[in-house]
Amino acid sequence: MNSVNRDSIIAILLLVMCGTFFVASFDIRVPNYGTLPPTAWPRAILTFLSILSAIYLVQSIKNPPESTKTTGGLKGLISEFKNPIWCFALYLAFLITLPVLGMLIGGILFVFCMLTVLSGAGRSKYLLHSVIAVLSVGLMWSLFTYALNVMLPEGMLISFS
Amino acid sequence: MIIENVIGALDALFTFQTMSLMAIGVFAGLMAGAIPGFTITMAVVLTLPFTFGMSSIQGVAVMVCVLVGGLSGGLMSGILTGIPGTPSSVATTFDGFPMARNGRPGLALGIGVWSSFCGGTISAILLMTLAPQLAKIGLEFHPWDYFALVMFALTITASLSGANLVKGLIAGMIGLLVQTIGEDEIIGVARFNFGNEALLQGFDFLPVLIGLFAFSQLLSDVKDPKSAVESLADSVKTIAVIEHKQALIEIFKRWTIVIRSSLVGVFTGILPGAGGSVANILAYDQAKKSSKYPEKFGTGIPDGIIAPEASNNAVEGGALMTLMALGIPGDVTAAVMLGALLIHDVVPSPSFISDEPILAYSIFMAFFIGNFMMLAFQSVTLRMFILVTRVRKYVLASVILALCGIGVFSLHNIEFDLWALFWFGMLGFLMRQFGFPLAPMILGVVLGNIAEINLARAMAINSDLSIFLTRPWSLLFLLIAFFSITFPYFRHKRGKTKWALFFLPAVLFSISVPLMMMGGIPRPTIAVCLILIGLWLLYKRGKAGWDPAQLAVMKQEISEGN
Repeated sequence: MNSVNRDSIIAILLLVMCGTFFVASFDIRVPNYGTLPPTAWPRAILTFLSILSAIYLVQSIKNPPESTKTTGGLKGLISEFKNPIWCFALYLAFLITLPVLGMLIGGILFVFCMLTVLSGAGRSKYLLHSVIAVLSVGLMWSLFTYALNVMLPEGMLISFS
Repeated sequence: MIIENVIGALDALFTFQTMSLMAIGVFAGLMAGAIPGFTITMAVVLTLPFTFGMSSIQGVAVMVCVLVGGLSGGLMSGILTGIPGTPSSVATTFDGFPMARNGRPGLALGIGVWSSFCGGTISAILLMTLAPQLAKIGLEFHPWDYFALVMFALTITASLSGANLVKGLIAGMIGLLVQTIGEDEIIGVARFNFGNEALLQGFDFLPVLIGLFAFSQLLSDVKDPKSAVESLADSVKTIAVIEHKQALIEIFKRWTIVIRSSLVGVFTGILPGAGGSVANILAYDQAKKSSKYPEKFGTGIPDGIIAPEASNNAVEGGALMTLMALGIPGDVTAAVMLGALLIHDVVPSPSFISDEPILAYSIFMAFFIGNFMMLAFQSVTLRMFILVTRVRKYVLASVILALCGIGVFSLHNIEFDLWALFWFGMLGFLMRQFGFPLAPMILGVVLGNIAEINLARAMAINSDLSIFLTRPWSLLFLLIAFFSITFPYFRHKRGKTKWALFFLPAVLFSISVPLMMMGGIPRPTIAVCLILIGLWLLYKRGKAGWDPAQLAVMKQEISEGN
């Protein structure tokens, strides 16, 4: 019987998370007024979550899930989840560069890169993707800025005020 | 009183600006619902930032109209391509797609559109009449009862959301835990911020919702590189004209299916956690079981389209009923509506309908009027749908992700919300991959504060925990929560073990106890009926010799005889 599987690892991680939060609950200041201390509700949740995670661990060992179709180890995993990994990486880059590039330029670059990466197309589609990125983000940005009066981050490169 | 409120609401809604915005909302909802992968929840959530500049009535009316449009939009894709536009239209494809393939796409669309209209209208009428009554019941609730209601909502959502109850409950608990991060609602002390100033404000539930649902959904849609570059146009072979007249004839012949399915939808919507995705399958199943020709279901018959489409549009009436009357969202979409109401400084509660009758009835009337607009726009949106199907999935995903980012930022103008969107997007994606349902987690995030505040109030009034069992409503909700947790085990062991024979009678006897405790005439009468049904079930099982297998055989013989 394969005792350690994907579900077991998730259950163990959940138990570790419960332990971490439980230890962190001792840092919560408990004032000497009020009937329900601020630690009570989180600890009750963590207790139930720990019990459920333990049950999940036992279930995963007794009835392991069917093995996934991914082959090729880490390379195979990255290959299977290539598109989501790219999406997260690009979004992270967008967030990190937001203070510098601002929402408009950062957003256009984000959409352009997403389109190019997800389509897997070469330079032939650069122009089309550029147009889509500029039009879609530009339209959304204009709508929020001028129609809805929402102040979106300008960044350091250009200023619209 | 209702008529006065309806007139006041119509007066507030019938302005050119408001009606135009509602029409745009219905149109947008229809298009969003028609695109597989673009869920109704996503559509409603992405509409929210656009409503900030509007008045409360306008903003909420627009979102209700997006909701109405989205509920009906899924049938276009389901009937023409066999791919349901939303989970609420899964059962529509069972007969809708075969009917289209058999050369009657116009009739299939017409039946779907008019069934949606009928279901939505019946639901709107029930919403207007029953919500105030439910609110009166809600006024009986005290903090213990509210806490127990939240626990009931979470457990029933977990038990309905997937095959693995434990995963559903874990998701719900994680949602509750997420809501404890930041400053405590009651005293204001910092919790679980790990020394980080930004975490002190906690997570607003809208970035969490958008991250968990929209972000992760879009990533799941483009996960496969081959399907990411495809468009739906490859599957749309038929361009159809809706056959309204013939569709109406078919629906009037089957008016009992329309009414029954609408009622199934409304009562499914009232149940927390059970949304359109449950209602359409349930209604289809009911229609098939009570049909004189069940073997024809799946071949392209009108009954198989009427049932799911009537029920999925009726669901939101039920969900809004629970939201407006009790302040508890009936499903995830209602949870988004709750967020919209809170952003517009409206707090649903049992006294909301009596304190803000014009706003409350404006929401009801927007739901009602939205159905008429949906009917009018379906023909127009069908042509637009054909155009939209030509857009590649990766283009839609990229643009919508950017819109998610801009929309989330506009909620509170803080970058932290964008980071929350990112983290919960990752979490939502991982949860989908590992088979954890998202609905319980969302409800946990939405209801976590309500649960803690009511628990604190209950303890402040009286720290005796036994009150949770001595107050009738609290006991009722806790009992239903307990049985909803054990129900999957019962279903698994039904027909195999002896204890399963006693499960349903035990449920009925247990629930009759708090109903008896409530006093008066109607509720104890219901309790007596439940006891009698429980006794009858025991008698039947005793007659079968307490043999689970024998009982299963008896049931088989009865159903074959029918």
